[in-house]
Order: sequence, then C-alpha cells, then structure tokens
Amino acid sequence: MTLPLIQIKNLSLRYGDFLALNDISIDFMQKTCVVICGPSGSGKSSLLRCVNRLEEFDSGEVIFDGENLNTTKNISQIRSNIGMVFQHFELYPHLSILNNITLAPQKVKGIQRNEAEDKAYDLLDRVGIIDQAKKYPDELSGGQQQRAAIARALALEPKLMMFDEPTSALDPEMISEVLRVMRDLAQNGMTMLVVTHEMGFARDVADEVVFMDKGKIIERNDSESFFDNPRSDRAQEFIDKVLQKI
Amino acid sequence: MDFSVIPNNIQFLMLGLMRSFQLAGFTIILSLSVACFIAIGRVSSRRTIRYPSAIFVNLLRSNPLILIVFWFFFLVPLITGKTLPEFHTVLIAFVVFFAAYFAEIVRSGIQSVGAIQVKAALSTGLTYSQTMRLIILPQAFRNMLPALVTECVIVFQGTTIAYVIGMREFLHSTSLVAERTVRPVELYLFAALVYLVICFAGTRLALFLEKNKDKSR
Amino acid sequence: MNYEFDWSLLLQEPNWSWVVEGVSNTVQLSLLAWIMALTLGIVIGAIRMSKFPLLRLIGTTYVEIFRNIPLLIQLFLWFFVFPLLLPEDMMRAWNRLDGVPFLTALIGLSLFTAARIAEQIRSGISSIPKGQFLAAYSTGLTEVQTFRHVIIPYAFRVMIPAIASEFLTIFKNSALTLTIGVAEITGAAKTIEAYTFRGIEAYSAASLTYMITTASVVIFMSWLEHTLRIPGLIGKR
Repeated sequence: MTLPLIQIKNLSLRYGDFLALNDISIDFMQKTCVVICGPSGSGKSSLLRCVNRLEEFDSGEVIFDGENLNTTKNISQIRSNIGMVFQHFELYPHLSILNNITLAPQKVKGIQRNEAEDKAYDLLDRVGIIDQAKKYPDELSGGQQQRAAIARALALEPKLMMFDEPTSALDPEMISEVLRVMRDLAQNGMTMLVVTHEMGFARDVADEVVFMDKGKIIERNDSESFFDNPRSDRAQEFIDKVLQKI
Repeated sequence: MDFSVIPNNIQFLMLGLMRSFQLAGFTIILSLSVACFIAIGRVSSRRTIRYPSAIFVNLLRSNPLILIVFWFFFLVPLITGKTLPEFHTVLIAFVVFFAAYFAEIVRSGIQSVGAIQVKAALSTGLTYSQTMRLIILPQAFRNMLPALVTECVIVFQGTTIAYVIGMREFLHSTSLVAERTVRPVELYLFAALVYLVICFAGTRLALFLEKNKDKSR
Repeated sequence: MNYEFDWSLLLQEPNWSWVVEGVSNTVQLSLLAWIMALTLGIVIGAIRMSKFPLLRLIGTTYVEIFRNIPLLIQLFLWFFVFPLLLPEDMMRAWNRLDGVPFLTALIGLSLFTAARIAEQIRSGISSIPKGQFLAAYSTGLTEVQTFRHVIIPYAFRVMIPAIASEFLTIFKNSALTLTIGVAEITGAAKTIEAYTFRGIEAYSAASLTYMITTASVVIFMSWLEHTLRIPGLIGKR
C-alpha cells in the first residue's frame, strides 16, 4: 500500500479567538482529485494554506511526500513541489505573463532562462493562451489570467496542485474555460485539492468530496455517493442550498 | 535695491547650491536604501525585528531635524574619537533622520501591494527575501513614487538646516554674500526664489506622478 | 568613549532657567502659531474652493509660495528683509518692540503652516463624496449654508488627525527659530552644551520634551478621533 501524499494529523489553527481548524486529521492519496466544499468560514482555504505552510498552524502535523512540515529545513523546496492557484489569480503585475511563469523555475530550481521559457511556452499552449505570453496581466481577461496562474503553478512540475476558489472571482462566461483546464489536469493524473463552489465540477471530475463546517471535516465520500447519498444532515442542507441557486 | 549683487556673486552662490544638491542627493540615496530594510523590519512577523524598527522610526519622527543634527555633531567626535568634516557629520544625521520618514513611505508602499501577493510568491517556493526583492518592492515603488518625490523635496528644503552648523550650502553662501555686500533684501529674496522654483517643479512632478500612477501600461 | 554623566546639572542654575524658558517659549510659540495658522489656513482653504477663479488663484498662489520656500528662509525673510521693506517710522517702531524674534517667529511659523493646513483642508474637502453637495443643494441650501452645516462638520472630523499632526509639526519646527534668536528649547540645549560640555544630558532634555509632547498629542488624538468619529466613515478601527 502506497503512502499518502499528504498526511494531516490533529491539525489546529487559530486566528486570535477564532478556531479556524479544529483538530483535523485526514490523508490524501496521489493521483486523486478532491473537492473541498462547505460554507464560508469553514476552514477550507486555511486547510490548503497549511499544506504548504503559508499559514503557521498552532498544533498538529502535516507530512507532505514524507517530509514533516514542522521540522523541515527546506520549506522553499517543498513549496516548489506544490502548485497553488488563488481566487484573485495573484499574477505579478509588473512582469509579463512569460516572466511570471519563468521566475520561480529560474530562482528556485536554478533552471536556465532558455529552458524555462521553452517550458513556459509549452504550458501556455496547454492552457490555451500562448499568444498572450508577452503581455502584462492587466491586459488579459480574468479567465486568461487564471489560466496563466495555473501555468505558473505547473511550471515547477509539482506533485500536487491546490486550487483556492479558482473561479469565484470570474465572470460566468469565463468559468468554463478554467474548469476545462482543471479537468484536463485531473484526467492526466495530477493530484489535486480544489476548494470550490462549482458542484458540477465536483460531481463530474472529482474523485472525492470533503465537506467541512466550522473548522471540522463533517463528511468525506466519493463524489457520486456524496451527492446522491450524503450521510450528514449538514451536508444535505448545504447541497440543497447550493443546487437551489443553480 | 541693487540686484546686481546677484550676478556679481553668482559663482559663489551657485557653488553653495551645488553643495545643497550634493547633500540632498547623497541623503536621498543612502537613507532610501536604509529605509527599505527598516520598512521590511516594520512589517516583519518577528517581534524582535518589528519592535526596534518601530522604536527607531517613532523616535526619529518625534525630534526636529536640527536637534538630530546637534546630537550627531556632539556624538560623532565622542564615539569615533576624531572630528569628521562637517559635510560627513551632517550627512550621517540627515541619513538617519530621513531614513525614518522614507521607511514609513516604503512601508505603506509594501502594505499597498497586499499580503496575498506575498503568499502567491512564497507558494512557488521563492524565499521571503526573494519575494521582497523581486515581487513586492518593485510594485511598492511604483505605488509610492509620488510620496517619495514629495519627501525628496522635503529633503532638499531640509538642507537649509546645514546652515546652522556652518556648512557652506546655498543658504549659508547667500547669508555670507548678504553680510559682505550689506544687501540682505536682494540676496534673501533671490534665495527664496531659487528654492521656490526648484521645489515647485518637484511638487508638480509629484502631482503628475500621482495622476498617472493608476494608468495601465 | 570617555563620558561622565551628570544629570543633576540640568536642575542647577543657570541651566535650569534656560530649560524652563526654552520649554515655556516653545509651548507658547507653538500654541499661538497653531491657532493663527488654523484660522488663516481655513480661510485660505475655503478661498481655494470658491466659485471665483481669481480667489482660487490667490489661494493656490499663497499655498505654493509658502509651501515651497523652506521655513528657515521664510524666517530669515521676516527677520532680515521685512523690517527693511517697511517705511522708516514703522521700521523703527517694529525694532523697538519687545520680543521681536518671538513675534517674527510667530508670523513666520503661522504663515508657513497656514499653507500646509490650507492644503490639507482642500484635500479633506475634496474627499467628501460629491453626492453630499448635490443632496444639500437640492434641498435649497446655498453654497455658504451647505459649507457651514453639512460640509465643514463632516470634513472637520476627517481632518482631525491632520490638524493635530500640524500642531506637532509646528512644535518641532519651532526649533528652527533659534536661528533668529528665540530662546526655545533646542537653542537652550545648545547653550547648555556650550556652557557645560554635557551634550548628552542637554540634548536629552530637549529630545524628551519633543517626544513627550508627541506621545501626548498622539494619545489625545486617538481619544478625540474615537469620541467624534462618524460611524461607518472612519469608524471601524
């Protein structure tokens, strides 16, 4: 039996008095696409940020690919093996799209500029915006920017891709182009953690769904079973409310 | 009124003006550099760095520049055991003083970029110092350019204080000529005019930068 | 570094009376100049928002002139140049006045700071949403009434921090007046240093005065802001 890619044990995170993550223990295996959903403030984004230690958690352990995040001396290298995509894209506005993508490979992995650029063009082609390479972020639409952000995260050939509400800030007509890229990634075997409200994606693409509320994991199931047969009342309530909106 | 004293002494006066520019120029370059570190210290998550930076800034901003100059003139010979030329001592005082002011501008520039850009950069494996250097500071500078230019004008105006310790900058040169030719009216009005023109140009530049800073590429 | 500290010398004569005189002059000068600067600054700020282009031009010219000439030069102009430009008998009367340096300093500081205050008022008023003006006019209020009853109270609360910080600026700028002979605190410290060679004690006394004043004003200011705040505007802290 293979070791899980991510092992989380008794993870807790506080913001002042507010308990964002309450003693969470969960494992994630390679090559699975997991959607994490739940109401606002349930701790979904915080959970993601603990996995690459962008948030310093208060207690518990996170072990990524065998390395304990508490004791590692190499957090930079670990982070370069995890790609993260943010709700508001967070491209660097003062750099061209191409440079946005080639920056980390050069600075973190020491890859030569030419090689990094070739790789970048490949990725831009994969996400469908190769002609935008020399432009600056503010010249692109939201959907294009998010796809560029995905390419930036992929440039480091990560073992895990994390998406923090990747389509929440997009106009409706641009959501599908981003979801399409994410679906391709999942189908090609990328390990993915996706925080999203896009239940269609959860049902059709994700292997598993994790439902969180108030800092705790309420339910975890394969995606079909989750939607057809939620085990908890809160999950059922949530599904009803979200599907009603559509 | 006899304004011919001005062209008659123009070389001497312009030499003084050069010195003022030198003092201002070196001050700006040095204190801005120091200020970047202090500003980063101000936003650091470690208390052992954050508190001293805050104390430094607040201490210096509570004191008049002229008092800081007096402090350094007293302390520098005491500590180093020898007397430095006036320009150097004044420069040190100015750099320390204005570093506190520039630090506040840089700090607000850094904070205007937003913490999530920091997280985005860190998430790709960049170290904190790479993030600051390559991602945050370049963006911050663009945002704070108008405020920086305004502060530079203030530095230039501040060089007049070097008069008090006898440094031969523009105001001092003016007062020497005024005494010698007994024509204070013409000379001080001339000095006022020169500063007026230079500083007005500076504030106009700052205004222009402010208006254009939100324009996209 | 060879230095023997002797803090008690500050309490001895003549040092102590220099300190007292210095602090007293600094406080008086700063308060008076601040009040004068506020008054003049508000007037000029108001002029700059006037309908009449000529008035606006006068206001802007004033601000640009008094902001761009360094304070020290302004003090010199008032001290050395101004009396010479007066008609003979007025000049003699002026020179015979008690405390010419203090008066000169007062005029110089007030006019300089008034320009700064006028600028802050302008930016304070322009930060008010245009809708407020429109709403007031639409109910029939004249421009003057609108300013008096709607705009000024609103702007005042937004400008409290700036106004208080101007007091601190004047307080620190008062140090420059030592160059025209005002016995304020930095000058007193310098005199004590020259007299006793104990610069650290002397300058510490001066620095302490400035720092305590700064801290007190900042604390008072946050209390004031908190008390007078407009909920929802600058309310949420």
